[in-house]
Amino acid sequence: MSDLLKLDGIETYIGQYHILQGVSLEVKKGEVTVLLGRNGAGKTTTLRTIMGLNPASKGLITFKGEAIQKLPTYTVAKKGIGYVPEDQGIFAGLSVEENMKVAMQKDDAETRARMDYILDLFPDLKNFWKKPGGLLSGGQKQMLSIARAYINNNELLLIDEPSKGLAPIVVEKVMESIVQMKDRTTIVLVEQNFMMASTIGDRFYIIDDGRTVSNGHMKQLKQDTELRKKYLGIA
Amino acid sequence: MDVLLNLSLNGLATGMLIFLLAAGLTLIFGLMDVLNFAHGGLFAWGAYSGIWIYSQTGSFFIGIFGAVLVGFILGILTEKWIIKPVYGNHVQQILITLGLMLVLSEMLKVIWGPNQISATPPSYLAGSWEIGGVIIIKYRLFIIFVGLLVFAAVQYMLSKTKIGLVVRAGVMNKEMVQALGINIKRVFMFVFMIGAGMAALSGVLLGPYSGVIHAEMGLEFAILAFIVVVIGGMGSFKGSLLAAALVGLSGSFMAYYVPDLALAANMLLMAIVLVFRPQGLFGMKG
Amino acid sequence: MNWIRNNRMNGIYLIIAAFLLLLPFVHDSRSLFILLTQIFIFSIFAMSYDLLLGYTGIVSFGHAMYFGIGAYCIGIFMKRFEPTTPNFVLAIMTTILLTAVISFFVGLLTLRLKSHFYAMLTLSLSGLFLVLAEKWRTLTYGNDGFTFRVPDFLKDRTDFYLICLICMVLVFFILKRFTNSPLGRVLQAIRENEQRTESLGYQVLHYKIIASIFSGVIAGIAGILYSISLRFVNTSVFTMDITLDALLMTIIGGVGTLVGAIIGAGLIEFAHHWLTALAKEHWIFERWIIFFGIIYILAVMFFPLGIVGSLKNFKWKRAKQTSVVKKEEELAR
Repeated sequence: MSDLLKLDGIETYIGQYHILQGVSLEVKKGEVTVLLGRNGAGKTTTLRTIMGLNPASKGLITFKGEAIQKLPTYTVAKKGIGYVPEDQGIFAGLSVEENMKVAMQKDDAETRARMDYILDLFPDLKNFWKKPGGLLSGGQKQMLSIARAYINNNELLLIDEPSKGLAPIVVEKVMESIVQMKDRTTIVLVEQNFMMASTIGDRFYIIDDGRTVSNGHMKQLKQDTELRKKYLGIA
Repeated sequence: MDVLLNLSLNGLATGMLIFLLAAGLTLIFGLMDVLNFAHGGLFAWGAYSGIWIYSQTGSFFIGIFGAVLVGFILGILTEKWIIKPVYGNHVQQILITLGLMLVLSEMLKVIWGPNQISATPPSYLAGSWEIGGVIIIKYRLFIIFVGLLVFAAVQYMLSKTKIGLVVRAGVMNKEMVQALGINIKRVFMFVFMIGAGMAALSGVLLGPYSGVIHAEMGLEFAILAFIVVVIGGMGSFKGSLLAAALVGLSGSFMAYYVPDLALAANMLLMAIVLVFRPQGLFGMKG
Repeated sequence: MNWIRNNRMNGIYLIIAAFLLLLPFVHDSRSLFILLTQIFIFSIFAMSYDLLLGYTGIVSFGHAMYFGIGAYCIGIFMKRFEPTTPNFVLAIMTTILLTAVISFFVGLLTLRLKSHFYAMLTLSLSGLFLVLAEKWRTLTYGNDGFTFRVPDFLKDRTDFYLICLICMVLVFFILKRFTNSPLGRVLQAIRENEQRTESLGYQVLHYKIIASIFSGVIAGIAGILYSISLRFVNTSVFTMDITLDALLMTIIGGVGTLVGAIIGAGLIEFAHHWLTALAKEHWIFERWIIFFGIIYILAVMFFPLGIVGSLKNFKWKRAKQTSVVKKEEELAR
């Protein structure tokens, strides 16, 4: 299996703060790679750096064999990477339909097929089609954000803490949908919710203090209580 | 009755002119977080170039067209050379746009001389109608008409076109628009250009209305535009129309009844808004 | 190290001040002294602006307002009442009170919002004051303005020159001490990173208002000196031109350095004087301000530190390099 995305020795500064001090990871096509770690470890910044929102000061990022670390955000997105940020980034004053329209880069048969698929997956969006995004519940916003990232033919989705602040039953729904999407796209997931992460993740990377400190198959992490305790603070 | 109607029309006409200026400011601020202190300069350039073209060609409409074109060009150049280099740094950006305002006003004096230039409306727009014993000045109606037309056009663009959608989305969340694959810098250029065009239009329309144009007019009107932007709400297109109408009407009525307090009344409004609702009546940003 | 360097700079300043002090006793050019007096007055004005912009990071577009208040206050007092010393003092106190109160309210209203609001409000307010001065003819004689007599002790040109010089030096040293004081350091922290300063527990708004008040009062005093120097005041003291002067002087001279404001004032006043003379020969020089406007834009873009700032930066970098080299040499041994 080939590396869809590769990070090599990535360092990122936000202002004068050295947030990422050496992040290296490989994302294999078709898998769900989970980024784990404590609060403030740098997981969100890693995703933002891939997207170019906080450009890397050092290191290499390769996507489909092409170096992207110096590209502006919109170019990175157009190369086929979708981003679902921590706060969902919903345009509150725009309707669900308009939110989707902003995201849609083309209006061809393929895109419409994807639209049908995603609306089947998230029927709530159909119901709220003309309503302003700001009126959606937390779970619905999450679904909209994922739908937006999915609507273009993106080969990679970066999803940041989708379960945050959601009721368990909604988390389950979101989980199911991510699992369903696995065969259509590759996913990098940042998740604090270990149950969710361990259920749907194939591979994991642990980020601590801005560095990647451990990685492997999810099976290993489920068995390694020492590792979990050390970096994630959970048993 | 006659007086009331005339004051109202006067107020609305002035309001439309201020709206054209303020609308550009508010959209630019809403989208780019840039407060263009040079907007008044674009306004003055619109006035001078428009009136000059009118005097050279004899056609007022070619003058208007030319003024808007000048506005577009100056807008693009300003965004590219002045705003872009200092993007992100508020202090630098505020300082630099004021500097540009200064240079623009002075350039006008270099090209057209420091004296006032008179401007009159074309014959078919001059004079007034008498309807039911009430006298209505044609040019005022013309301004109101043009203003509403521009409002409708831009509103249509904002709500029904893709780029309008992107602009509205960008006002809410610039980063996300970029993350969805849209080059927001190009959208900035577009919005700035439109704003500049509207400012220039306002200038060329004002010329025949007030009868004279002078290099300082940019600053005077810019102050009113700022008041409107604050009252209407930074980033709210509709807000700028309503606030402009409000400011125009209040100015018109005050000027008639209590002339010396006109500007003070508007300032008081602005102060009240700043204290109680700094995001303005319709604003989306604080 | 710093102490020695600071004292060296202070020493240089004192020498220059002494030179300027003795100048009238050895030289006798009336126009030169008038020019120098203007430079001193505008230095005070520019320094007050630097306090806001350079040290606290606040952009004001209405500084002419405080300047004009001072100018009119003294004029009105001297015209309406007898030009005596007690009335003079009264005028100064009124100016200080007015400028302090206004700058307090303006600050309170807008400093808690984004920088754009303060800039807009001050712009609009000074426009308001201009209109006020034009219309309140009974008090201000409108656009024409009025002349007035000054108290005896200010009548002599040389005396006035010395008074302005001393005022400037005083303001300079007071502001220098102020900006180096704990309060002043908080202001600089606010300029660098307002959020951080706030999160450290400082009531940022209070500090900003203090800076605003201090700055406004000093600007008012500059205004007083200005109209005394002319013995005349009209609406020009409230115009945008005056605010622009402050802007140009501080930016080109060097923000955040105080001495930069003085150098900027010197440059602009010199240019004004020299180019106005040249304007009589060729009209293009009347538009000299475009030239400065362009320099200003370039300065904001490429040399935000201005003349003095860039020099200091250059020296500091050189010093750093030599100390790095020295350290390496030491380690090599």
